[in-house]
Amino acid sequence: MISTVIGNYPKIPDMPNPGKWRSGVEKLQKGQITEAEFHQIEDEVTLEAIRDQLDAGVDLLTDGQIRWEDGQTYFARRLRGFSINGLQRYFDTNIYFREPVAEAEVAWETPIAVRDFEFARQNSPRPVKAVVTGPFTLAWLGRTTHYRSPRDFALALARALNHELRALQGAGATVIQVDEPALCVPSVDYPLFADAMRALTEGVTAQKVLATYFGDVGGVYPQILELPFDVIGLDFVAGYRNWDVIRRAPFSKGLMCGILDARNTRLETVDEMLTAIRRISAVVPPDRLMVAPSAGLEFLPRGVARRKLQRLVEGTRAAAAALKGAPA
Amino acid sequence: MSLPLLPTTAVGSYPKPEYLLEARRKFLRKQISKEELTALERRATAEWVKIQEDLDLDLLVDGEQYRGDMVAYFADEMDGFAIAGLVRSYGNRYYPKPVVTGPVGRRHPVTVEWFKYAQSLTLRPVKGMLTGPYTIAEWSFNEYYPTRRALVLELARAIHDEVGDLERAGARYIQIDEPAIHTRPAEDFELAVEAMAIVTSGIKAYTVSHICYGDVPKVYPAMLRLAVNQLDLALKNEEFALLETFRQQPFTKDIGLGVVDAHSHRVESIEEIADGIRKTLKVIPVQQVYVSPDCGLKTRAVDETVGKLKNMVLATKLVRSELASARGRPAGVAG
Repeated sequence: MISTVIGNYPKIPDMPNPGKWRSGVEKLQKGQITEAEFHQIEDEVTLEAIRDQLDAGVDLLTDGQIRWEDGQTYFARRLRGFSINGLQRYFDTNIYFREPVAEAEVAWETPIAVRDFEFARQNSPRPVKAVVTGPFTLAWLGRTTHYRSPRDFALALARALNHELRALQGAGATVIQVDEPALCVPSVDYPLFADAMRALTEGVTAQKVLATYFGDVGGVYPQILELPFDVIGLDFVAGYRNWDVIRRAPFSKGLMCGILDARNTRLETVDEMLTAIRRISAVVPPDRLMVAPSAGLEFLPRGVARRKLQRLVEGTRAAAAALKGAPA
Repeated sequence: MSLPLLPTTAVGSYPKPEYLLEARRKFLRKQISKEELTALERRATAEWVKIQEDLDLDLLVDGEQYRGDMVAYFADEMDGFAIAGLVRSYGNRYYPKPVVTGPVGRRHPVTVEWFKYAQSLTLRPVKGMLTGPYTIAEWSFNEYYPTRRALVLELARAIHDEVGDLERAGARYIQIDEPAIHTRPAEDFELAVEAMAIVTSGIKAYTVSHICYGDVPKVYPAMLRLAVNQLDLALKNEEFALLETFRQQPFTKDIGLGVVDAHSHRVESIEEIADGIRKTLKVIPVQQVYVSPDCGLKTRAVDETVGKLKNMVLATKLVRSELASARGRPAGVAG
């Protein structure tokens, strides 16, 4: 049983400390610093995010996605075929993103997250996973004036992002996570989702994690166990129905269980985590579990995010010790 | 003073002048007193009232110069809240997100003094301006109430008292902002409707609710059941795509028609804005339309804000004169 995070991490420290990322963006917009100087700031803040995860004792890290303005435009701006439109609400959150619009054939031209992954790996003694926003969610949150159907749009994105997964694998990523929160929306087009995942992962042999959050997978379980992923990530906070959903069929894959509320400041107790992990390990053996927050931690102020990381590790270690030797 | 056809108004916030931003920084560092800060907030408020009069807006706002953030301001002034810290909204925009730590309620009227001050500066009507219970709850962390419903309804009772106080202070137009209302439509929309009914219960003033940036079609026509006279919406952000939705089911309330984008630097031209209004009048009767920006303008520069408002007023006057000359046309001439 290991601890991990979903992905993003607060980019600025708590008040009254100066937020160098935030002032960096402002200076860049005003032309007071160069792109290169801004990337330097992003690197420094990425190191802070890695440091917080290491200090807490997280087993499998991300780079904190400091360079992502949001999960959509980070990819859409670097793929061919997109323009960027007005602000949209990100699912049921108070986060807003600019809507990507595919106005022409979508294509992968250049590695997107590879350099970020390499930077994080070089600066972390512990394993780092690469994270990519999935094609289904990108299509769901985006729009197209070029493709005739949502299917054509999502599959074109899947084929384009397949190059990114291969590039990450080529750069040495042994764990690649694909974020698909849109899988939790009601009445999802599951056949399309499955086709997109097959196109996305073709030829990718790294350990693949499918991360879902903001809801449950009741509408698509157990079908999702047939998808070409090694680990499925579920949100047990916003998707509280997942507690029942996973009992419907033997959980044949690894489970990344999001049990720490990434969207509320209230800090769970070690006991609460222990109870939750015990309950889950009745369905999925402990050695197949990754324990995680319910979503990215950027919903929280940094100080709270740091305490959540610490609690994540405390709870995971306590559960690992308690379940050791317990009958499977 | 009664409002003309197609009254022009604004959503609430205007950018803070540099001297006020500087003063707020100094206040945070405890280098100036609350009184000194308030004096500058009053000065900036007076300046914005004057600017709006000079631009010839019909229904004014106080510009919210005294607020950092639309939720944190109420959290600061009410019982039961603390500030958890800064959380990102989009790009490099952050807001101080409150956390509910105990029973919520009003210690004292929150916005009444600011309303009275702004109204004392002008003969034109000034809107009373509040954040709605659903949005305050949704944009706060909750460590106290067992359910969101309990928190929202408690807040609704507090905001209702504030609406009553504003009305007694002379406000004839009161806006209750609910930009978060379509966050979880399936789960929560009825709760938001129930909360708004509490907020405006027994109120005679003209009430408005501002709703923005989200899936409006998903809560339409249900949103027409909100207990307010006007819904103020961001049409320009999606180039008036919402009109398609309103064509299918008639818009039965008044609309605050967002005609300029609040999050772009570009100042829309008079013709472009007039076009948006003309398009709307094919779908919604002119008597129901108020003209406004998409959202609060606090993230724009001062010159962008003035530019957008100015063209908005000029475009509205252009459309008004077109309507007047169309009415003046001799009978029998096809329109």
